[in-house]
Amino acid sequence: MFLVGSFFLFAAFLITTCIFVIFSKNPVNSVLFLVLAFLNSTFLFILIGAEFVGIILAIVYIGAVAILFLFVVMMLDIQITTLMFNIKRYIPLALLFAGIILAEIIYLTVFKTSKDNLDTFIRSKNNTEQIGDVLYTEYFIDFQLSGIVLLLAMIGAIVLTHVYRPTIKRQNIESQNSTTAEDRVKLVKIKPGEGIKDD
Amino acid sequence: MTSLSFELTIGILKIFSFVVPVLVSVALLVYLERKVLGAVQLRKGPNVVGPFGILQSFADVLKLLTKENLLPSSSNKFLFIFAPMLTLILSLIAWAVIPISSTYVIANINIGILYLFAVSSFGVYGVIIAGWASNSKYPFLGALRSAAQMISYEVSIGFVIITVLICVGSLNLIDIVESQKNMWFAIPLLPMFVIFIISALAETNRLPFDLPEDEATLVAGFFTEYSSISFGLFFLAEYANMILMSSLTVILFLGGWYPPIDIFPLNAIPGIFWFVIKVFLILFVFLWVRATFPRYRYDQLMRLGWKIFLPFTLIWVVITSAFLFYFGLLPN
Repeated sequence: MFLVGSFFLFAAFLITTCIFVIFSKNPVNSVLFLVLAFLNSTFLFILIGAEFVGIILAIVYIGAVAILFLFVVMMLDIQITTLMFNIKRYIPLALLFAGIILAEIIYLTVFKTSKDNLDTFIRSKNNTEQIGDVLYTEYFIDFQLSGIVLLLAMIGAIVLTHVYRPTIKRQNIESQNSTTAEDRVKLVKIKPGEGIKDD
Repeated sequence: MTSLSFELTIGILKIFSFVVPVLVSVALLVYLERKVLGAVQLRKGPNVVGPFGILQSFADVLKLLTKENLLPSSSNKFLFIFAPMLTLILSLIAWAVIPISSTYVIANINIGILYLFAVSSFGVYGVIIAGWASNSKYPFLGALRSAAQMISYEVSIGFVIITVLICVGSLNLIDIVESQKNMWFAIPLLPMFVIFIISALAETNRLPFDLPEDEATLVAGFFTEYSSISFGLFFLAEYANMILMSSLTVILFLGGWYPPIDIFPLNAIPGIFWFVIKVFLILFVFLWVRATFPRYRYDQLMRLGWKIFLPFTLIWVVITSAFLFYFGLLPN
């Protein structure tokens, strides 16, 4: 009873926050509602007993991805009216994606009813160990491949945006630390009338 | 129904048994900080209010409470008020999983360490929302610095935690402490211990990494526009976070509630005593560092995080796991 009640509570919150993500006039508010949506989906994962997946979702999406979103959105200077006007353009694309996801959900719930298997997998006491067991054995290649894809994306982003400027002044900490007093200061005794000899 | 309400009462009492000591020790920590800084700089520190000035922080809290709470006219009012609350809430809910003895903890969950990591990474939201909602230049710059800084140092904190977890084989905080019964992880993982403390300084925005509130360049950083109790909440949260990170260091590296050597007069003392002593020592290191080191420049901070700590911790994860694997020491 408690579980069902909390499921409907968090699911309702999730849908509400998602709606606010779309219809908020201020993009910063949109990102903050997106954070709330991630948080609610974390709660839903914890409710079905998949606490590892849930908390990893929270760490990765709320703790890193959404902060970077917020970081970028805060610095944009968007005209709110043009933003609202543009929304109509994306409706066909949005409907397409919604249709794909709906089809996936229907396929999973109606045609693939191997529910016992999933239940025993999720309901076991420590799902962290279970995920580790399959991730590094059965799905080892896929796991490594997804890592390489992410690495490629990261390197690609750096290569595309990095501009090498040879004129920029950089600090060379090693050479600074290895500098001694003799490299910088020279004590010279000057006789009157001779000046410093340049050597 | 009675049993449910009974459990609820016990739960609430347990929560208070954590929150009240944390808030009181925040006040004492502020006093301790001023005393330590005074001693380092050959001054007396607070010595007027109460015996040895020990009531100074309480007097400061009273003063903050009676001040007027100002709202900047062009700020986002809701988020402006919400940000300090969020910061304090996040620094207090993390205590739900901190075990101060082998039995005394509010929630003994399987993924305790991940929960702590998640909550400490949410901490940046309070700062960044405060900076944006103030609608002012200095808070905004402070918020941007803070976001970049906290994300950078979370990476190395994550790798340090992974190294400890490889040695333990569990994400449960009680298991982590109990696997250090014979040897604290601070000894075999000494470099990681040092990196964790430095990263904890950066994560809590303490000197020498307090660039989000760098008073020399940013007035007061992200809480420039805050006054009265909303400033007080940020202040409380910063010190509560310091105590939290110190407790996490004690749990991960200094054997939690275990005495230094397992012999008679030491192991007769209750575990909570050892826990508090160790937390106090780490906090003293925090204050000592503040008194000793000058503030880092921002590019030096980023260089330290990404070019030194990240490769170093990454290599140590590989070395530790390879060592444990080849000598057959991996936990089950």
